[in-house]
Amino acid sequence: MSNVYVIDNGAYSIKIEHAEKTEPRIIPNCIMKAKSEKRRAFIGNQIDECRDASGLFYILGFQKGYLINWEAQKTVWDYVFSDQCCKVNFKDSSVIVTEPYFNFSSIQEAMTEIFFEEYECHSLLRINPGDLSAHHYSTTYTKVICCLVVDSGYSFTHIIPYINGKKYKKGIIRIDVGGKLLTNHLKEVISYRQLHVMDETYVINQVKEDVCYVSCDFNKDMIISQKKGKENTIAQNYVLPDYTTVRRGYALPTDQSGQTDNQHLQLSNERFTVTELLLHPSDVGIKQMGISEAIVASVNSCPQETHSYLYNNIVLTGGNMKFAGIEKRIYMEVRSYVPEEYDVSIHLPSDPVTYVWQGGVQLSRSSNFYSHLVTKEQYEEEGTQICYVKFDV
Amino acid sequence: MNRESNRIKDASKKRVLDDDTRTRRLKKALGALEVDNYHDDPHADLVMSKKVPKFSDSFETRGTRKKKGKGPDYYKQRYRKSFSQLVEEDRHFHPEPPNYTSAEAPPSSFPPRHFCAVCGFFSNYTCVCCGTRYCSVKCLGIHVDTRCQKWTA
Ligand SMILES: [Zn+2]
Ligand SMILES: [Zn+2]
Repeated sequence: MSNVYVIDNGAYSIKIEHAEKTEPRIIPNCIMKAKSEKRRAFIGNQIDECRDASGLFYILGFQKGYLINWEAQKTVWDYVFSDQCCKVNFKDSSVIVTEPYFNFSSIQEAMTEIFFEEYECHSLLRINPGDLSAHHYSTTYTKVICCLVVDSGYSFTHIIPYINGKKYKKGIIRIDVGGKLLTNHLKEVISYRQLHVMDETYVINQVKEDVCYVSCDFNKDMIISQKKGKENTIAQNYVLPDYTTVRRGYALPTDQSGQTDNQHLQLSNERFTVTELLLHPSDVGIKQMGISEAIVASVNSCPQETHSYLYNNIVLTGGNMKFAGIEKRIYMEVRSYVPEEYDVSIHLPSDPVTYVWQGGVQLSRSSNFYSHLVTKEQYEEEGTQICYVKFDV
Repeated sequence: MNRESNRIKDASKKRVLDDDTRTRRLKKALGALEVDNYHDDPHADLVMSKKVPKFSDSFETRGTRKKKGKGPDYYKQRYRKSFSQLVEEDRHFHPEPPNYTSAEAPPSSFPPRHFCAVCGFFSNYTCVCCGTRYCSVKCLGIHVDTRCQKWTA
């Protein structure tokens, strides 16, 4: 049976598709309510039907990176798995579904119960997204024996070392900075400095994705962003959607800056100071180290003989790794912290968001894939206990 | 011309926030960075109206899940531990690291950087009343007018 679905169940978006496909579908993992449409809520990608996304209200299944609101998650899953969306057939299928590192026991049990009893899948593999990334990496670079996965998503960022294909749990580090925090910080800064946008998470998230980047010379960019007029090459005007003539916000081409009748934001240092939180959480008072420092700390907690391999195989995954400049910045910082005898090499996948899903597809094609699975039959005989034995999350 | 310096003089007369209050403010600010929504549910006032389908049954009624499946409500009842309950429970079940608690990134070994709370530029000064960072007289003026003593924390 080669009927496999891969579900990378992120706190912000679900990456899902049958493993024979080449790309997953990316569907918002939330329920949204619009001010403009009071007769219904929008589940997942139904939001595309919403004509006016101002003041969108979110209901998410995840809180601080873990599945807490099951009512919301179940509602989204029911829709996503249905004929209206992905039209899955789990009955004769194996399902690979991701869940967060150090997932709590009762959430693990609930996951098992729902996928076997509610969605009645034939067999199941619950796994950390980093495991699938590490697998993906090892199928691309077959001689590699260790890698260090950076997984930076909506809720938080993890650094996870893999030694001989196995997750080295003692080396995992969690930084409580993710895409949500960046968007909220950008909202707060814009609201204080120019326009009240605290209710506009949806729009400001797009602003973030459209114009924010990671600086590779922070002090220099700070000085440029203070300049007036043409000398400020960082300044960027952003036209906000009004849902009549402008459906989606967009960055105004720099040669037309200031030439718009539409409501717009004027962004300058916001473009790169917001993403700094990934590298310096202390900028907003979070007493944790940033990604580059955590990479070094994670490697240092691994056996000495693995260090050169880990530094040489750093893999960047998750939505936050799509910011321009992030790869170069992490390289520069890690390079400066690490002794010269180590080579530092960073791999940024062409799509850091779907890299995990692709890894799941590759795993489903590997010769020993079925040894990872728990079947419905096994579950019915042995209960949730067998999942603790088989799954390492 | 003198407006700003007067304003600042006024500010210096105001109470100086103690450490506890400053810590509370920081906690509140960090909490705000975690929330999913700043505003209230725009449909909250509709809850009492029977005409409006709940999101859970708006889906169900379209008849896409005909089989016996349990509704979202069942799972809401079945699994309703809060995040802090789960962390507490985990400390009990997995007292030995590595676990959720032990994986938290330690503090940075670099000194924190300071930015002006008003404009975002590098900051060399601290507001004597509340400890907020600012970069210039102009930004201090804005801070005093908008935030300094105006937050309730
Ligand atoms: Zn300033
Ligand atoms: Zn102050």
